Amino acid sequence: MTCLRIDQIYLYLEKEFSPSENKKIEEHLASCLKCKNALEERRILLQASESLTLWETPPDFIRQVMAQIFPEKVTARSWFITMAVGFSSIILMFLAFFLLSGQNLARLLINLSFSLLDLVRNISILFVKLFKLATLLVKIIVQFSRFLIEGFARLTTILSPEIQILLITLTLILSASLLYGMRRKFMTGEKA
Amino acid sequence: MDEDKELIEQTLKGEREAFEMIIRKYQQPLLNYIGRMVGERQLALDFTQEVFIKTYSSLHSYKPQYKFRAWLFKIASNFIIDYWRKKKIDAFSIDQYQGRDYNRPSLQIPDDEPSLVRKLEISQLRERIERALEKIPAYLRELFVWRHINEFSYEEIAEIKGLPVGTIKNRVFQAKELIRHVLEGKE
Repeated sequence: MTCLRIDQIYLYLEKEFSPSENKKIEEHLASCLKCKNALEERRILLQASESLTLWETPPDFIRQVMAQIFPEKVTARSWFITMAVGFSSIILMFLAFFLLSGQNLARLLINLSFSLLDLVRNISILFVKLFKLATLLVKIIVQFSRFLIEGFARLTTILSPEIQILLITLTLILSASLLYGMRRKFMTGEKA
Repeated sequence: MDEDKELIEQTLKGEREAFEMIIRKYQQPLLNYIGRMVGERQLALDFTQEVFIKTYSSLHSYKPQYKFRAWLFKIASNFIIDYWRKKKIDAFSIDQYQGRDYNRPSLQIPDDEPSLVRKLEISQLRERIERALEKIPAYLRELFVWRHINEFSYEEIAEIKGLPVGTIKNRVFQAKELIRHVLEGKE
């Protein structure tokens, strides 16, 4: 028998051959080290593949699926019971508050809701005013920058390049000396 | 498998517990298949749930001459293909990979075959196989998972995919050799 093909090795390991075919393969394996090594390599690979860690479902998985398939229907009786329990709890709470503090809980809740309403209204007014102010500021900045850009554009068409360079240099020197002066003033302020 | 058919009959008669038993039996195999296909645990759990819901709603169209397990996994496979199609991932296109050499592993044992697998501890090897699985084409990964994690027979896989047994055997072989190549760092 010639050397085994790799697909034959896998099928042999997975016991997919007949007993007579298996016998031929085993006879060859007994005398061929190359095939024996290749078989061993794939035996380990298969063993590891067949013992990979299994993913587990959470304990309430079945309940979740069943709840999706068969959703619980709310009956008229259970609806009535829920409502009754809700109402009696509210009445009990009002009664307990009255007995303990001597005050009417309903009035206290109404007053509190009015105060909250006032607060919400004031905050909304403040936000609207702030928004208006911000839009006004943006408009002013846009207009001013447009004016500046147009001014510069006109100046460059009027003045010659030499005068433009001179003006830029002078502006830079003036800004630098201004900054230096401010720095000195601040430093003297710190020392004083 | 007869047990499955009995459970389906009982479910169709309105016995909820019968379908609960079906979920109990197949929740883990399905999760392990879907999990290896999509890679994320939460997404896999959501999909497993969706597959059971879909199975329940189409239970009336199940034909008893087919194996229930094969029918269930076909629903799951179609569900994943639909998901990828919606996400515009062409993971199941076989033509896409046919031109590439790594899907046609050599049938002959090379003279200088490296023995990387034998140098690793079994736990290390399992970890590397999991990572290699993510790198191989989805249509080969699916077959590998069915064969070696879900432990389906080649005939059962052929029934799910509607392909000849020989084709399935060949593709599962390709998947395994491709995994070996990834482990050796060839892909």
